[in-house]
Amino acid sequence: MENMNLNKHISGQFSAELEDIRNRVLAMGGLVERQLEQALDALGSLDAELAQKVIEGDHKVNGMEVAIDEECTRIIAKRQPAASDLRLIIAITKTIADLERIGDSCVRIAKAAVEKRANNQRPLLVSIENMGRHATRTLHNTLDTLARMDAEAAFELHKQDAVLDKEYEGIIRQLMTYMMEDPRSIPEVLDVLWAARAVERVGDRCKNICEYVIYYVKGKDVRHTSYEDMEKDIRD
Amino acid sequence: MVEQMISIDTQAINTDARDLSNLAPAETALEIRNLDLKYGDKQALFDVSMLIPKNQVTAFIGPSGCGKSTLLRCINRMNDLVDHCHITGEILLQGQNIYDKSVDVAALRRNVGMVFQRPNPFPKSIYENVVYGLRLQGINDRRKLDEACERSLRGAAIWDEVKDRLHDNAFGLSGGQQQRLVIARAIAIEPEVLLLDEPTSALDPISTLTIEELISELKAKYTVVIVTHNMQQAARVSDQTAFMYMGELVEYADTNTIFTTPKERRTEDYITGRYG
Repeated sequence: MENMNLNKHISGQFSAELEDIRNRVLAMGGLVERQLEQALDALGSLDAELAQKVIEGDHKVNGMEVAIDEECTRIIAKRQPAASDLRLIIAITKTIADLERIGDSCVRIAKAAVEKRANNQRPLLVSIENMGRHATRTLHNTLDTLARMDAEAAFELHKQDAVLDKEYEGIIRQLMTYMMEDPRSIPEVLDVLWAARAVERVGDRCKNICEYVIYYVKGKDVRHTSYEDMEKDIRD
Repeated sequence: MVEQMISIDTQAINTDARDLSNLAPAETALEIRNLDLKYGDKQALFDVSMLIPKNQVTAFIGPSGCGKSTLLRCINRMNDLVDHCHITGEILLQGQNIYDKSVDVAALRRNVGMVFQRPNPFPKSIYENVVYGLRLQGINDRRKLDEACERSLRGAAIWDEVKDRLHDNAFGLSGGQQQRLVIARAIAIEPEVLLLDEPTSALDPISTLTIEELISELKAKYTVVIVTHNMQQAARVSDQTAFMYMGELVEYADTNTIFTTPKERRTEDYITGRYG
């Protein structure tokens, strides 16, 4: 927590507002994390009921994004935050957008679970399970990094996204062989592919959030930079 | 076409952040070198060195008593009037040390105009207020004075409001108008540098915005140095900002950097309201 000094403002009210908004982002993260776990569970066990619950739960995630965004706008208008306070607000508005998109990915995965039940594509779905576990762990670690505002950890996590990308490539290759073996399977295989794509996107969103953490802590915008430059910015 | 746009874009970013520790002499209006100032035994400024760029707005910010007004007053030797004030170090204006024995202080102050916190028009007409400095210089040619009066009042963005009552008493103007009149009086003698010591702290928000707008226009012709307690004002009007604390220059950088990613913890704490 050494990177967060929210509580030392002369205006205690301002400190309380920033603390509150930070807690709400973490709560939103927790909700999205649960959505992802349940969506993957639903897909693994082809549980349509659970999948439906995830799909219906997305409006809560959307509602939180809008509420936090409004709060950020209000703080900017009333407090004119500067330096680290300003970076916190900017990082938060961007983070919640990515969290909301992760929520959308969860819905996509859940929808695949509902449809797969009819077609019983279990063998194809096994390949996603592993990747799904990986994505859940990445999201969990990202939220942890966000809570601690730890730039070093964010950088390490950012690098790990390549592993998830590799897994995704492997799945595509595997699915392509299925399609070549039996072209009649293409519609079903494509559905699995979209689900795999949704899981892979979760990793990309986590990567974005890691970039916002680095932006908040170091004041450096590391988007679209090489890992060497990023490392330099972090060690600075 | 797209490539062209991208290259223009990066150019704009690059010109934004200038290296304040290494300005070309042609770009430098003022150079402060190792300035120490003591009021009797109490040291108020500690080894301040900085380069102030030409035709830009430089703001000094910091808590009360940090020495920002003292530093500003050094630039036109207003501290000479204070008893027991002892200054070492140099301030170079156009390459010449203004604390050199050979410098004529009256001439220096013609080159370095100053505007204070409270508007201080003279108990005279608007017209006479503006041309006061010129009359002191022995200029009495009516046409010259008329010209200078209009040019200065236009420069201070107040001409339209007072052109029909130039010979009314200046005390009849509102606070914001009086402050712009005082700025007109300061620029009538065409100084190089304009020092503004909290020029809007006695004004209402609308007059404040008018003055801020005016400051952005003034920098086309003059180098402006402003002391302000209002951090948002420094953020709005200045090109570079110096943060001072207990007589020290803690951090001096372009305003965008100071207000988004300051290097020093003390600067960060001050501008985010954690000081104290």
